[in-house]
Amino acid sequence: MNKLGLLLGRLHAAEVDLGDEWRKIAERHATDHDVWHIGHQLAEQCRARAESVRSIGERHDITIREPHEAPWDTLLATIRRTGAEALGRRPEPGLLLLMDLRGLYTAAHEVDLYWTMLGQVAQALRDRTTLDEVDGLHRQLLTQIKWIKTKTKEASPQILAVGIPLVGRHHDAG
Amino acid sequence: MIADRVADIWGARTPYRRDDHWPSRVDQHLLVDEASVERWVKAACVLCSNGCGLDIAVSGDKVVGVRGRADDRISHGRLGPKGLYGWQGTFGADRLTHPLVRVDGELRESDWDTAMDLIVDRSRQVLATQGPLGMAFYTSGQLFAEEYYVLAMLARAGIGTPHLDGNTRLCTSTAAWALIESFGADGDPGSYADIDHCDALFLVGHNVAETQTVMWARMLDRLEGAQPPHLVVVDPRLTEPARRADVHLAIRNGTNVMLLNALLREVIANDHVDNSFVADHTVGFDALRDVVEAYPPERAAEVCGVDAGDIREAARIIGTSQKLVSTVLQGVYQSHQATAAAIQVNNLHLLRGMIGKPGCTVFQMNGQPTAENTRETGANGLLPVHLNWANDEHVAKLARHWNVDDLTIPHWGPSTHVMEMLRHAEQGSIEFLWVSATNPAVTLPELHRIRSVMGQSRLFLVVQDGYLTETAQLADVVLPAAMWGEKTGAFTNADRTVHLADQAVNPPGQARSDFEIFCDYASRMDFRDRDGAPLLGFAGPEEAWDHYRVLSEGQLCDQSALSYEKLRASDGIQWPVNEAAPDGTERLYADGQFHTGVDQCESYGHDLVTGATNEKEEYAAHDPAGRAMLKAAEYSEPLESPDDDYPLLLTTGRSVYHFHTRTKTGRSDELREAAPSMWVEMSTTDAARMDLHEGDTVRVESRRGRIVAPLRVSGSRDGLVFAPFHYGSWDQPDGAEPTAANELTITAWDPVSKQPLFKVAAVRVTRP
Repeated sequence: MNKLGLLLGRLHAAEVDLGDEWRKIAERHATDHDVWHIGHQLAEQCRARAESVRSIGERHDITIREPHEAPWDTLLATIRRTGAEALGRRPEPGLLLLMDLRGLYTAAHEVDLYWTMLGQVAQALRDRTTLDEVDGLHRQLLTQIKWIKTKTKEASPQILAVGIPLVGRHHDAG
Repeated sequence: MIADRVADIWGARTPYRRDDHWPSRVDQHLLVDEASVERWVKAACVLCSNGCGLDIAVSGDKVVGVRGRADDRISHGRLGPKGLYGWQGTFGADRLTHPLVRVDGELRESDWDTAMDLIVDRSRQVLATQGPLGMAFYTSGQLFAEEYYVLAMLARAGIGTPHLDGNTRLCTSTAAWALIESFGADGDPGSYADIDHCDALFLVGHNVAETQTVMWARMLDRLEGAQPPHLVVVDPRLTEPARRADVHLAIRNGTNVMLLNALLREVIANDHVDNSFVADHTVGFDALRDVVEAYPPERAAEVCGVDAGDIREAARIIGTSQKLVSTVLQGVYQSHQATAAAIQVNNLHLLRGMIGKPGCTVFQMNGQPTAENTRETGANGLLPVHLNWANDEHVAKLARHWNVDDLTIPHWGPSTHVMEMLRHAEQGSIEFLWVSATNPAVTLPELHRIRSVMGQSRLFLVVQDGYLTETAQLADVVLPAAMWGEKTGAFTNADRTVHLADQAVNPPGQARSDFEIFCDYASRMDFRDRDGAPLLGFAGPEEAWDHYRVLSEGQLCDQSALSYEKLRASDGIQWPVNEAAPDGTERLYADGQFHTGVDQCESYGHDLVTGATNEKEEYAAHDPAGRAMLKAAEYSEPLESPDDDYPLLLTTGRSVYHFHTRTKTGRSDELREAAPSMWVEMSTTDAARMDLHEGDTVRVESRRGRIVAPLRVSGSRDGLVFAPFHYGSWDQPDGAEPTAANELTITAWDPVSKQPLFKVAAVRVTRP
């Protein structure tokens, strides 16, 4: 396997992992309907991008093996979802959500860097087909990062600031 | 004339030729002889977003009838069934006349001081333990502008909470966002008079014949006059407009984006694009063309379940018309990919250069009568007068006008939408919820969940309404509110027409206007501005209106020159109304300049798939600077599809005779008798296959709940079940089978507009 193969292999694995993370966060926060629906949708995007990486590989005579689902994955998913439902009325899942978003953010940035590398390589190899494909897929990944930031910004105040006295004194009535 | 608007919903035809004036026809309904009417009080109807001008007949401090106003720019004198009869539901025998307070688990009659003290004590307690983020407010699309405005001030600047939303979230939040994402700001560009000039009408998920009957009467009069427009209708049901259509596209619910992308593709492929308009006044054409290229009519036909030839014919009508009017409503807004789909209708108009000119516009319609004001005043998730929460200069402008610290006004993110507020209440961080003039216990999705969240003992629930609704029955304190006819205020319809409704009679018992109640609360909470003056120091609605219109100066929704005096003298006047346009503005964007500049836009926009928000820097880097934005969207599969267990697709909707949860219309004899109880609809083929007949009682079940109702067999597309959403439990005996359509719906919402999904849920139908 040449150096391009090494990069594609890493990118592929990172996308597969990111997809797993999206699915897990969706299941762990199944009672947060936004995270549930978007998480599954974005996991699907990761799966499709991994597939594109494999086909980019094929065009360059590099074979990347398709990931296989471990038999216990479905069971674990059910446990995560049931756990989320049991905790749906408690405040603690909020903190867990912020930690999960942080984990996702890190994982997504790793993928971002690999796409950046692949885009640069495609330019250097004058490979327009790959370059065009990378452009769209990379932008899709960057939108995922944007969603993670949006969600974090929106969720943090309610999770972290409730119950803490205000610093500004503009709340005379309270 | 005395009209029977139950049997004859749209009234006698007054056909007119294209470009002619729509003839007047005055509809009137009086309970007494005309001679015994003491006064006529000018107002407008609050039972749909048309906002037809009318006069209220008063005799002996009682409303005794209504009469359409012949010169009103919206109705030309007409009133629909709800307008003609619905007002009687305001004056029902079971109106709330005293505050109610929960004691030992039961609501008991009380007085204002006791009730308000309880609310204030609990507010202070929650503010001390949770802070402002423990407090939430959920309002309506049926109050007046002044009432929303003071509510927004007390929530944003008094309490300082982001948790303020309106039930307009369920109704037309997508209209607002579709307009913002394409044109930079909320506000429908066109005029109802565009119906007079168009040569093609394109109705997308808008059963106008039932939701806005007077607007449909105008369309019908065009259809029956000389030079009628072509009519294209997208609706899975065989509605009245569908029966009249040249092309009826009865698509599978949830597939709007697929169909619209195919129409866009055809318009481009057939070279029906106004290239110079697109080049001069839009951005994003190449990306849109690249996306829709992959949507040939055959692909759309397969996914949407319609004929490819019909798609081509619809595209031909849209592509070759010279003057196109499109309207969009709940079939898009409450369906899958709501904002993405609504935007594609805007895109059709932008590609054809058909906006801002007589006969050329898109209506992102409203549902409720005052929904536009909920949005405009900042009670529906955005800041007042369409200011951009992410633009620090906009927030500073608002803080200066309210004379408060800009950090008091939460603007670290979008205001919280109602489904998210419920989740915070579910998790326990919101402990106080104040609901005004709406009935979430019937209208929100997945009702068993809603009831369990709102019924929690740790949540303090205040409900302010005219009647003891299903939601009020769950409350800790119920406040009796004055209703339409009993108070004064302004409101705005779907084409930016503002009317003033004057008080005609006194409210019953101790009931007070929502305006008075909010101001009283602010005063008891001692909310003050930076100089120590009362935050809501308004003597009455007119002072609040004046305060509001000063704030609007320089915004797209500029109403700085629109005084009560001018409103009283007008027959409806369209904003902007300012020094430059003292008589109002019939059409926005007539010069092709949109509201998209980085310093003026209402939002920096979203990714349409995920709802991820764009940052200011990102927007500024591609500043459209006055050009409209063509935004493309790929079709995606709906969240729930039919399967072996739940083989049919549910859509919820409306009856021509009812409004919302029938709080008003269910108490009008004519309307109640016209549609007294719940029903569900299935297609002829589906019913025959299951050996079901008209009138059979059926059970409809989804993964979330069930309802039981009699069946109507209709011409809807196969595989579809229709259920009106009006029928909760307030007039049902205890222990009756559930009938509210939202027992069945799914908890999900559009990623951009956060409008819940009511139009796609998998269900099965059985005999109970």
